[in-house]
Amino acid sequence: MLMQAIFAMASFTAPEHIGTTPHPMLWLIPLAAAIAIVYKATKLPTIKARTFLKEVVVLSSTIIIVMAVIALALCILGWLITE
Amino acid sequence: MPQRAKQNHSAFLLTVGLLGWFIPGAGYLLLKEIKRSIIVFTTIAIIFSAGLYIGSIGVIDLVGATPWYVKFTQIMNSPMVAFLGRLTATGSYPVYGRPNDIGQIYVTTAGLLNLLCIVNAVYLAHHRTAKAKEN
Repeated sequence: MLMQAIFAMASFTAPEHIGTTPHPMLWLIPLAAAIAIVYKATKLPTIKARTFLKEVVVLSSTIIIVMAVIALALCILGWLITE
Repeated sequence: MPQRAKQNHSAFLLTVGLLGWFIPGAGYLLLKEIKRSIIVFTTIAIIFSAGLYIGSIGVIDLVGATPWYVKFTQIMNSPMVAFLGRLTATGSYPVYGRPNDIGQIYVTTAGLLNLLCIVNAVYLAHHRTAKAKEN
């Protein structure tokens, strides 16, 4: 148990290996979810599980979709400029 | 508002703000918003820990060339971050590239979310006191 705790603590002293591939973009998803959860926790007058989850899913999906649309628009713009 | 009540009100708001800064979500706990405080604490703690896991504690840089607003948002997580800042000030935990970027984004976002919660908890406390005085 002590060794496991030491290993867990040690994993915070060295960075993870993250390559220069498009995959690290997936780290956006938990971040968007966290932003939506905290924002909705501050905005909803009363917190009921069903309503809260629905609001969080809608907001985090909106963030991710809008960012994807902006990324796509910038890609198209970049392609139009360089072609 | 009499002077005494005004001072008590300011002290209460300050307590809510400081408590929310020391422990994310604790400001809401003082206002008996238990669900809200659990959600806020859990989410901020997970995001902050994820940032440290991805980029190591080296992402907390309170003395280096990091811009002041990044330092500010990192310290907004909790004053306890200053302790980690002292550990990393020696330069023993170097981190570069993507892990540094992603780790720093996570840690600063957690700090900004905590700032939002502090402001909201203080506003809620003020609003409730004002409403109680009206009734």
